[in-house]
Amino acid sequence: MRAVYTAIAVIGIVLPGARAFADDALPRAMDPDHPVMCLRDASDLVWRIQCDNRTKQCLYAPNEELDEAGHRVKPLERARTCELDVPFDRKKMEADGFTFTPAIVDAPYGWMRDEHQRVYQVNFDLRKRLYVGAAYTPQKILDNPLESTRTSVDFGLFVYNHLSNADSKTPTMHRLRLFEGQVHMQPFSAEFVMAHYDMSHKFLDPLLRITTFVGTPRRHDMVLDLGTWGEVGNLELHKTPMGNSQLWRHATAQVTIDLWQSADLSSFARIRTGLGLEGQRDDVNGYRTAITESSAFDIDWVLDPQGFNNVRFLLSHEVPRYFTATETTGKFVQRFKAQLEYERIILAINDQPLSLHVAAGGEKRDDLPGVPNVWAFVFDTGLRFSLWAPPRLAPHS
Amino acid sequence: MGAATVSAALVVAALATNAYADECTGISARGERFAQCFDLGNRLSVTASSEGLGIAVGVRHEITFDDDPDLEWKMQHTLVDASHSAFDGAFEGAFYRGRYLRHSRDGHLVIPFGGGAPKKVFLPFDIGAIFEAGSIAWKPMDPEFTIGVVRVAPLVDFARARDYHRIFALGPSMHWDMNVDRSFEAVTTQTVAPFSELLANAHFESDDGLWVSDMRVEAGTAWRSDRGWSAEARASATVERIVIAIRDRPVALTAGIQYDSVRAETVARIGARFVVLDRTHPRVSLHPLQPKRTDPLVAPPPPIPEPPPEPPVLDLEPHAPQAEPDSSPIGQAVQSLLLGS
Repeated sequence: MRAVYTAIAVIGIVLPGARAFADDALPRAMDPDHPVMCLRDASDLVWRIQCDNRTKQCLYAPNEELDEAGHRVKPLERARTCELDVPFDRKKMEADGFTFTPAIVDAPYGWMRDEHQRVYQVNFDLRKRLYVGAAYTPQKILDNPLESTRTSVDFGLFVYNHLSNADSKTPTMHRLRLFEGQVHMQPFSAEFVMAHYDMSHKFLDPLLRITTFVGTPRRHDMVLDLGTWGEVGNLELHKTPMGNSQLWRHATAQVTIDLWQSADLSSFARIRTGLGLEGQRDDVNGYRTAITESSAFDIDWVLDPQGFNNVRFLLSHEVPRYFTATETTGKFVQRFKAQLEYERIILAINDQPLSLHVAAGGEKRDDLPGVPNVWAFVFDTGLRFSLWAPPRLAPHS
Repeated sequence: MGAATVSAALVVAALATNAYADECTGISARGERFAQCFDLGNRLSVTASSEGLGIAVGVRHEITFDDDPDLEWKMQHTLVDASHSAFDGAFEGAFYRGRYLRHSRDGHLVIPFGGGAPKKVFLPFDIGAIFEAGSIAWKPMDPEFTIGVVRVAPLVDFARARDYHRIFALGPSMHWDMNVDRSFEAVTTQTVAPFSELLANAHFESDDGLWVSDMRVEAGTAWRSDRGWSAEARASATVERIVIAIRDRPVALTAGIQYDSVRAETVARIGARFVVLDRTHPRVSLHPLQPKRTDPLVAPPPPIPEPPPEPPVLDLEPHAPQAEPDSSPIGQAVQSLLLGS
């Protein structure tokens, strides 16, 4: 963590023209839910004023961005429209007990302004982004950080969550991922997915309701939040003691049941199960195909409304049924996988977040020739840089 | 005198600037219009070069925001950029190449730590990324071919141009390539550079689109599954000059050079690029504005027939015209005074 702070400090020091502002003593911001007036003063300058009749306090701010000398330089960004030149009698209001306090113009949900009225993003949706990341195993950082063989990289070309019918009581979350993957260097392994889609729906009517007649009759609703999950073009590569292995999961389709959903469906815990078609090729057995039954338990949890803390958990089980047995495996094999990830936004560059990513995982499988059927664990920590990542939906929207 | 000359020069320069839009639309001696500026980013082109025949589809678009006019995403996509040599069977191509740049007037960095409000540090560059997926290089005499699974580089762009004409970007590069044995159709080696290479990209276009040049250098260390870490470098430079246009579809001469330290080869190529489909440059007006239509869109109602003239009234006895009585108070007073009532 200190290294991160050091890096930030270095960036701030060495870059020409970089200017830092301490925001600790920021004036109060106007309330975005209360009306604001735009008034022209004797110098023909426009000010934004927001008055509260209960507290008899008026907040005022210039209607433009300011430079470091306090001169007005450009129109406000992401500012709401306000009524211009409405009747306003400052002397009368002061006589009525109103006080006038300098303030900052309000910003939309997910944004803030500094003392120069410049806007910047402070809320990020990591489910809408393009990202790249690199991770290192801490043990190897001490050896040679630039040539660590315990390095991994991850990437996602298009991560997009879309909430449809958001204003209704039965919203649906669509989750699309294109070209997302991860590469570990030694021992070499890689996995990427060309296209992924899953969908969660919040049901209003219970699929099943049970009435109990022991004591006072009571009704118990069992809402099954069903959804779908599918992937196309999943490739997994492994370097084994007996050569290379390629596993193509051509297509997988599953049914999901959300055990828990957040109100905006951005977080969930669910179980899913289904079937897939796969082909595996290794240097020992050649190519073989299988029908795979797969099940998993997923958690995807955005811990805070700002989207800064994100946790994911995956526990999966796959049982491929090969059409032919081989020398090293029978017709049935098993794969277990568990992974826990935590991602925390640590800073944003031009409103594009850089996040710390920590992951721990384990795998146990008997389909790879020469790989013992025991749990193998891996731990990664690294950074991810995301593009886009707009503010999350406001809670009321 | 000197001041007047300078003023005149400024006026001429200002007039020339105002007439900028006209420079993109030429008018022949017969009054027919033709394009003199070209959109290099939105086109389907076919290239015949010393390396073979190639095809590429380019798409450019901007993402802008009504509430933040100083922010713009410049998105450039190249789909299916491929070339094939009929002479030796070589094939090179990429399924997707994208370059995304986020241009904002106020670059800044937000640090959400330290308690209280997040802190903001202002930075003098735009940011963006290069993302490439699914490239393939098939050489005729090589027992292996290379699949570039992914290549990603987050960028900082110091040019900070609002348009696509200038880019000078740097960033760490990550790529993952696979060598596949052609005979056994099996992966033999993996090459991974986990952001251990530095990528520099410079791109320049003329305002009229007649000239475009692009330079890219990528150097650093990469890990190979068969021999571990090693240094590698790649560099490429291309230049394109539109020389003619056939029915406003440009034809350009291209030249390029490419260096790859892993293959230990330097390849130069020249060729001609034919644009099959493209978007008309926004400053080109091939169809002049039509004069405002004056004829009504709806048929007018039939004219109302004039009534026949009434027969004249014969008044044989002349008489003086009788004035209407004035009903105003002053008028009544005058009348009572005159009539004596």
